[in-house]
Amino acid sequence: MAMRAVHKRYLREFFPAMAGYVVLIFASVSWLKTLDGTLARTVVTLLPVIPIAFVIRAMIRVIRDQDELERRIDLEAIAIAGALGGFGFFSYGLLLNAKVLAAPEPAAVAIWVFPILMGLFGITKCGIRLYYRTHE
Amino acid sequence: MNNRVRELRTELGWSQADLGERLDVSRQTVNAIETGKYDPSLPLAFKIARLFSLPIESIFTPEA
Repeated sequence: MAMRAVHKRYLREFFPAMAGYVVLIFASVSWLKTLDGTLARTVVTLLPVIPIAFVIRAMIRVIRDQDELERRIDLEAIAIAGALGGFGFFSYGLLLNAKVLAAPEPAAVAIWVFPILMGLFGITKCGIRLYYRTHE
Repeated sequence: MNNRVRELRTELGWSQADLGERLDVSRQTVNAIETGKYDPSLPLAFKIARLFSLPIESIFTPEA
């Protein structure tokens, strides 16, 4: 089936932004090895965040412009993913606090929040789409 | 809510994709409406009624 215009636009916006992220993450990591100064390191470290802001913009635009059921599926998936992610990190925090698990570097935990949220969003969305697809 | 969307669509010989294109929604949305998995919003229900040139209440009826 042909892809709808709104989703074609999303891919046109998503892939260049992700490509920019990949390029900037490598550039940033490599540059940081030789860079001194808090301000300079802050700017270079946050460079890869710029294309991620464009990814989020693309997601917001597709959510707003797609049809009502597609929007409902996305919003349900985001709500469930947010709840599951929050629940998971909260449980993990309790286990770390009780010293049941070895404490990782704080940066390692913080860096994984967004990818885990997006991953849970993807999985949840597949499940909800499947629900609406049954009985075709 | 029950509806006659599938019946009306097949009478006109349209596929779900054809109807989706006319309503500016996805084929998946048309399917979900036809199977009763999803009740359309009031604006979309009116759009469907206009497309089939029928009153909205003759297409959508509350479940008994």
